[in-house]
Amino acid sequence: MSKDLTDLKVQKEVLIEGNPTFETITDNVSRVVEKKPGKIWYILFTISGSLTLMLFGILAFLFWEGTGIWGLNNPVGWGWAIVNFVWWVGIGHAGTLISAILFLLRQRWRTSINRFAEAMTIFAVICALLFPAIHVGRIWVIYWVFPIPNQMGMWPNFRSPLLWDTFAVSTYFTCSLLFWYVGLIPDLATLRDRATDKIKKIMYGIFSLGWRGGNKQWKHYELAYLVLAGISTPLVLSVHSIVSTDFATSLIPGWHTTIFPPYFVAGAIFSGFAMVMTLSLIARKAFDLEHVFTPKVLERMNIIMLLTGTMVGYAYSMEFFIAWYSGSEVERFAFINRAFGPYAWAYWIMISCNVISPQLFWFKKLRNSIPVMFIVSIVINIGMWFERFVIVVTLSRDYLPSSWDYYSPTIFDIGIYIGSFGLFFTLFLLFLRYLPMVAMSEVKGVLPEADPHHGGGH
Amino acid sequence: MKKDNNKEKRYFRSLDHLIATDEYKEKTAREFPEGASEMNNDWSRRNFMTLMGASVAMAGIAGCRRPKEKIVPYVKPPEEVIPGVARQYASTMPLGTSAYGIVVESHEGRPTKIEGNKMHPSSNGSSNALIQASILGLYDPDRSQKVLEKGKEKEFADFLTFWAEKYNVYRANNGDGLAVVSESFSSPTMARLKKAFEKVYPKAVWATYEPVSDANIFDGLKIATNKDVRPIYDYSKAKVILSIDSDFTQTESENINANAGFAAGRDLDDEHSEMNRLYMVESAFSSTGASADHRLVLKQKEIDRFVHALADKLGVVSANINLPDASQAWLDPLVEDLLANSGKSLVVAGRRMSAQIHALVCGINDVLKNNGNTVTYTNLTDVSVSHISDLQVLTEKMKTGSVSTLLVLGGDPIYNAPSDLKFASAMKKVETVIHTGLYNDATGKHATWHIPASHYLEYWSDARSADGTVSVVQPLIAPLFDGKSSVEMLNLINSGELLSGHDIVQETWKPMISGEFEKGWKKVLHDGLLANSSLNSESISFKLKNINSPGSGDEDGYEIIFAASPAVYDGRFTNNGWLQELPDTVTRVAWDNVAQVSKKTADKLGFNSEDLITLSVNDAEVQMPLWIVPGTADDVVVVALGYGRKGIGRVAEDAGHDVYPLRTASTMDFASGVTIAGTGRTYEIANVQDHWSMEERPIIREATKDYYEGHPEFAPHAVHHPPLESMWDEFKYDKGYQWGMAIDLTTCTGCNACTIACQSENNIPIIGKEEVRNGREMHWIRVDRYFAGDVDDSSSVEMVHQPVACHHCELAPCEQVCPVAATVHDDEGLNTMVYNRCIGTRYCSNNCPYKVRRFNFFNFTKETPEIVKMAMNPDVTVRSRGVMEKCTYCVQRISKAKIEAKKDDRRIKDGEVVAACQQACPANAIAFGDLMDKESDVVRIKQRNRNYALLGELNVRPRTTYLAKIRNKNKNMPGAQESQTEHHG
Repeated sequence: MSKDLTDLKVQKEVLIEGNPTFETITDNVSRVVEKKPGKIWYILFTISGSLTLMLFGILAFLFWEGTGIWGLNNPVGWGWAIVNFVWWVGIGHAGTLISAILFLLRQRWRTSINRFAEAMTIFAVICALLFPAIHVGRIWVIYWVFPIPNQMGMWPNFRSPLLWDTFAVSTYFTCSLLFWYVGLIPDLATLRDRATDKIKKIMYGIFSLGWRGGNKQWKHYELAYLVLAGISTPLVLSVHSIVSTDFATSLIPGWHTTIFPPYFVAGAIFSGFAMVMTLSLIARKAFDLEHVFTPKVLERMNIIMLLTGTMVGYAYSMEFFIAWYSGSEVERFAFINRAFGPYAWAYWIMISCNVISPQLFWFKKLRNSIPVMFIVSIVINIGMWFERFVIVVTLSRDYLPSSWDYYSPTIFDIGIYIGSFGLFFTLFLLFLRYLPMVAMSEVKGVLPEADPHHGGGH
Repeated sequence: MKKDNNKEKRYFRSLDHLIATDEYKEKTAREFPEGASEMNNDWSRRNFMTLMGASVAMAGIAGCRRPKEKIVPYVKPPEEVIPGVARQYASTMPLGTSAYGIVVESHEGRPTKIEGNKMHPSSNGSSNALIQASILGLYDPDRSQKVLEKGKEKEFADFLTFWAEKYNVYRANNGDGLAVVSESFSSPTMARLKKAFEKVYPKAVWATYEPVSDANIFDGLKIATNKDVRPIYDYSKAKVILSIDSDFTQTESENINANAGFAAGRDLDDEHSEMNRLYMVESAFSSTGASADHRLVLKQKEIDRFVHALADKLGVVSANINLPDASQAWLDPLVEDLLANSGKSLVVAGRRMSAQIHALVCGINDVLKNNGNTVTYTNLTDVSVSHISDLQVLTEKMKTGSVSTLLVLGGDPIYNAPSDLKFASAMKKVETVIHTGLYNDATGKHATWHIPASHYLEYWSDARSADGTVSVVQPLIAPLFDGKSSVEMLNLINSGELLSGHDIVQETWKPMISGEFEKGWKKVLHDGLLANSSLNSESISFKLKNINSPGSGDEDGYEIIFAASPAVYDGRFTNNGWLQELPDTVTRVAWDNVAQVSKKTADKLGFNSEDLITLSVNDAEVQMPLWIVPGTADDVVVVALGYGRKGIGRVAEDAGHDVYPLRTASTMDFASGVTIAGTGRTYEIANVQDHWSMEERPIIREATKDYYEGHPEFAPHAVHHPPLESMWDEFKYDKGYQWGMAIDLTTCTGCNACTIACQSENNIPIIGKEEVRNGREMHWIRVDRYFAGDVDDSSSVEMVHQPVACHHCELAPCEQVCPVAATVHDDEGLNTMVYNRCIGTRYCSNNCPYKVRRFNFFNFTKETPEIVKMAMNPDVTVRSRGVMEKCTYCVQRISKAKIEAKKDDRRIKDGEVVAACQQACPANAIAFGDLMDKESDVVRIKQRNRNYALLGELNVRPRTTYLAKIRNKNKNMPGAQESQTEHHG
C-alpha cells in the first residue's frame, strides 16, 4: 500500500500512550466487559434505570391523558419535547462525524474515541426519536407520517418539513447503527474468542457474523466500512440541516431565516463534541483509560469546540444583523424580544454558555486542563439546550400581540427530559458492560507495532 | 381530583373534571343523573315522545308547533319531520322588562341553536351573547329537578294538596299575610295574572325586584313627564349621540337594536359617507366606550355634575355648577355639536344614573328636539318594574311577622337583595316560603317549598317588547325537569287550580286576536309575534319643576360601581359555562369578576393585577382580585355583579366573588367612601390577552374621519412590501363558489355575540378556568382588544376590538407544514380541517400567523353530561383529543345551502349562507358570501376603500379581510388634534 504524507506525519505522533502492546490493548478493553462490573456501575445503572422507568411512567400518563399535561398553550404549540428532540439530535452528531469524516480524512487520532462516540450517537438519536413520536396528539396514528400504501390512497404531505425530518432522522439512525455495528464486528469476534461462558460465546458469536480475521474478510470489511463512512458523512450535514427546516421554512418571525441549516449543523457538531468530551472524561477516569483518551486527542476536540462555538456565535450575531437589514419590523421585534423580552434570561444563558465559555480554549493551558474542559463541555450542552429553547419559545410572541402568551414547562415536561437522560445512560451503561468501548482492532492499527516500518531500518 | 373547600383558589381542569367529582355531588345533595343512564330515565323519553307527538299533530303547518298535551306513539314517521333536517320555531326570550324575539333551531325535537327573529322589533334577526348562550341554560344538569319541602323530596301533587288548604285560608281573609316577590316582567299574561292576584287577594303584598333594572329610567321619565313611559331610542337616526354612562351596545336593555342602529349610522361606503358621532361620558370602560369618538372619564358623582352643567347650559334647568377645566373644555364643543344637530342628536343615560339624571336627559332631549325624533316614548303597558321601595316595605312586613306566606316567583333575593334589607333574616320570620326557580339557590334552600321552574324554552308565556309588540313564548321542548313556569304558578296561586301554561296564555290572547282565533293564533305562533301590535308613541311634555342640586363632587375617597356583568348579567347566567368562559370584552378575563381600576389608582394603592384586595363599604367587605383596566376613572373600582353564587351549580361554584353584600338599597348603582386594603395574597386569573398594546403594528388600521377623507386608501397602503409571489403553482380560484368574509371594524363594538354564536353552532367545548389560564381557550372566533393612549390619563385611552377567526388563506401556511395533509384547501377556497386525519403535531398552529387554530389538549368532550349533549349541533363533528380545530366558515351551513340549491338546480343566492357569527352580529359588522357573485354583499363591502388584508404582506392571501376603523372626531374637542393619527400612506 502506498503511504501518503499524512500517514507519515501521523505515525510520528504517539497516539496511544503508555506504549501498550496488542495484547495489553485487548486485555485493557476486554476486561471491562469480562469482569463483573464494579459497585459504581450498579449504582449508576440503578439510578439511570429508575429514571428510565419514570420516563415510561410519564409516557404512559401522557398517552392516557394527552399532551395537555405539558405546559403548551395556544401560541406555543411546541415546547420542551421539540427542544429536547433537536438537542438530542445535535448531540447525536459528533459520533458519526468523528467516526466517518475523520476516518475519511485519515485522522487516526479518532480511534480511541470513535466507538464511544458512535455509541453515544446511536443512543442520543434513540432519545431524540422518542420526542417527535410522543409530542403528537394522537400517538396511535403516528405511522401516518410514513408513506405506507393504504386503501385511502392517502400519502403524507411531502411539502412538510416534519416529513423530511422523519426521513432524515430515520436514515441517519439506520446508517449510524450499521456503521457502528460493522465497526464492532472484529471486536465482537475478539470477545467471542475470549468468552468463558456459553451464553456469551453464543451471543457474541451470533453478532460477530463468523468473523475469523482472514485477509479476505478484512478486505471486505474495510471496503464496507469505507462505503458506510462515505454514506454517513453527508448525512451529518443533512440531518441537522433538515431538522432546521422545521423552523426555517415556517413564516414565524425568528424562525423564518436562511441561516438556520449551516448554523444548526455547526451547533450540532459543537454540542456533540461537548457531549463526547463529557462522557470520555468520565470513562477515562472510571475505566483507567487515560492512555487511550490522550490529552492530545482531548485538546483537538477542544479546538473543534472553539471553532464551532465561534461559528455559532457568528450565526447569532448574523441573525440580528439580518433581522435589522431585512427591514421587517416583526422580525426585528422577534430578535430584540429574544435578548430583552420575557425570555431574556434564557437568551443570555445561551450566549454565555455557547459563545463566551468556549473562548477559554484560546489559552493552551486551559484547553489542556481536564477540569476546565469537563466543566466547559457541560456548560456548552446546557447552552445548546437553551439555544433550542430560545428558538422554540420565539413562538410565544409572533405577529398579533393579542395571542402572546408565556410558556413554562410542567413537571411532566421536566420529567420526560430527565427521563430521557435515564434512557440514554441506561443504554450507555449496558454498552459499557457488554460491548468494547474502544475499537480494539483500530487502536491496534495505530500502534507503532502496526507500522510495517516499525523499529526502523528495514 | 382532590379538592380543598377552604382554599381561596380552586380550579379545575375542565368542566368534565368537575362534573365527575363525587364531592361536588355530595355537597349539593342533589341527585344528578350521570352519564348515559340519563336518556333511559323516563322523563326524557317521555318528553321526547310528547314532542314527537306534537310534531305529528302539526302536519301541514310549517314552522309552528301546536301544543298537544297527549302522548302519541311514533307508529308512523311524521311526514313533516325528516331526521337530520332541522326545523325553526319562533319564540321570545324575556329578560327583565325586555323581550327579544328569537327563532330556535330544533333537531328532532331538541332545540340546539337560537337566532334572532327578523320580524321582531327588539332583535331584528340578530342576537347577543346572553341570548345565544341561553340554550345551554336549558340543558344545565344543575337545574333544580325536584320539588322540595324543607329539603325533602316531594311530588308536585303534595304541593297542590298543601296549597289547596292555604288557598281557602287566603281566599277567606282576602290574602292577608300573603306576599309575592316577583322578577320584573313585560308580559300581557303575567300582567293579567297580577291584576287577578290583586283582585283575589286585595290585602296581599306584591313586590317586584330585580337586582339590575331600568327602574331609574322609568322613574326619571315619570318625574319629567308625569307618565309611566319607556324610551325607545332610534340610534340610526341620530347624527350625534351623547351617552351618559350608558353601555347601550352591550349591557343596557335593548342593546341589539341599539347596536344595529348605531352601526347603521357609521356604515361607511366611502370617505364621503356620513357618519354619526358618539360622545361618551363614563367611569368604567365599556364596549360602547370603546366605540366612542370622544370619551370623557369621570367618577359617577362627577358625571352627575356634568349632566347638570349640560342641562344648565342647554337651559333645561338652572344649576350653578363649576366644572373642572377638563370637563368644561369638553362640554362647550359638545353642546355646540348637539345644538347644531338638533332633532338629529340623541342623549341617552345608562341605568346606573339616578332618576333625576334621567329626568334631566329627557329635558335635554326635549330642548334638542330629539323627543319624537330620535327618541320616542311608549306607555309602560303590561310591565312590572322593579322597585326597591316595594321590597323594603315587604321586608319590613316580614320582619314584623305580618307575612305568613311568601311566594318567591323566580329570582334569588337572599343572594341579590340589597344587603341592608337583611332579607334572609326577614325570611326566617315567614311561616311558609314558596320559591320557584331554575336553581335550588340560596332562597330556595331556605324556603319551605322549592318548586323547580321551567326554562323559557320549555314554557308557554308571552311578552311585550319595548315598542309594545306582543310576542309569544312558546316551548321548544316539554319541561325536562317537570318545572313550572311563573305563569302556571301564579295562576295556581290565584285560582287554586293547575292549568297548562298554554291555556292560560291563550286566555290572554283571545281578546287580542281579531278574526278567527285559531287562525290568528297559528299565525302568531308562526311569526312569534302579533303583527302590528306595537303601541303608539306617547306624546310627552317635559315639566320638570325643581331639582335637587347635585352633590359637591368633592373628593370622597374611592367610589365603587356595581355593573351588570356582560357575561352572567345579574347572576342568572352564572352557571352557564359558555358565558363563564367568554373572555370579557374589556378585561379579557374569563371565569371571574375582578375589581377593575385604572393604572394610576393601582399605582396609588400599590397593588397590581391579581393582587387579592379587600373592598369595604356599607359595613360589609368583600375580597376579590384587582385588575388594571386602562381608561377606567381614577379612584373608581368597577365590579361586576352576579358572581360568587355558591351552591347552585358546579360551574358557578368557584367563579368569581359575590359583591352583592356591598350593595344597599340606597347604593344600588354605586357607593362612595370605599376603603381598599391588601391581603398580601394573590389570586390567579384566567386572562386570554395580557398584552395591551398593538406594538405599533398595522393590525387594526384606524384613522379619523378627516384623515380618511384626505387619504381614502390609507388602510390598504399602511404596509409596503415587495411584490408577493408564491413558490408554488397557484391554484386559480375562479370557478364555482369562492367563499370570503369581511369584518367592519368601525361598526364592531366587540360585544362577543359572535364568539358565543360560534360556540353554540360548532359544539366548541368548555375547558374550565385552569385550562383558559394555561392559554388553551378553544373559541374559534375571538375578539382581540388593544388599548392606545396614555395609560396614566384615562380620558386619553382608546380601546379597539377586532374579531379574529380563521382567515382561510389561499396560500395557507398551515397546510404546507402538516406532515399528514390533515388540513387542505378545497376548490371553493375553504381551508378545511380533516379531524380524522389529524395526528396533532400542532405545527399548523405554530405556523398560523393569526393563531386561530385551537388544539384539543385533552379530551374536553369525553365526560360531557348526556343532557348537555342535547345542546350539540348534530351537523358538526364533536372533536376528540389530540386534534386541531378551527373556524370552518360554517361549512355545514354552506353544505346545507348547496343541497337546497342543487335540488332546484340553481346557484346559491347571496344571503342564503349565513355564518353563525354573522347571523348573531347585532351590528352587521360581518359580511360573508360568494366572491364569484359580483352582486353579493361581501363583494360590495370588500370593494370599499377601507378594505385591507391583515398580514397580507405575508402573501398568505386571506379570504377574510377587514374594513379599517374610522373615528369621527370633532375638531373642536380637546385632544382631537393630536389624535389625527398620521398613518404612513
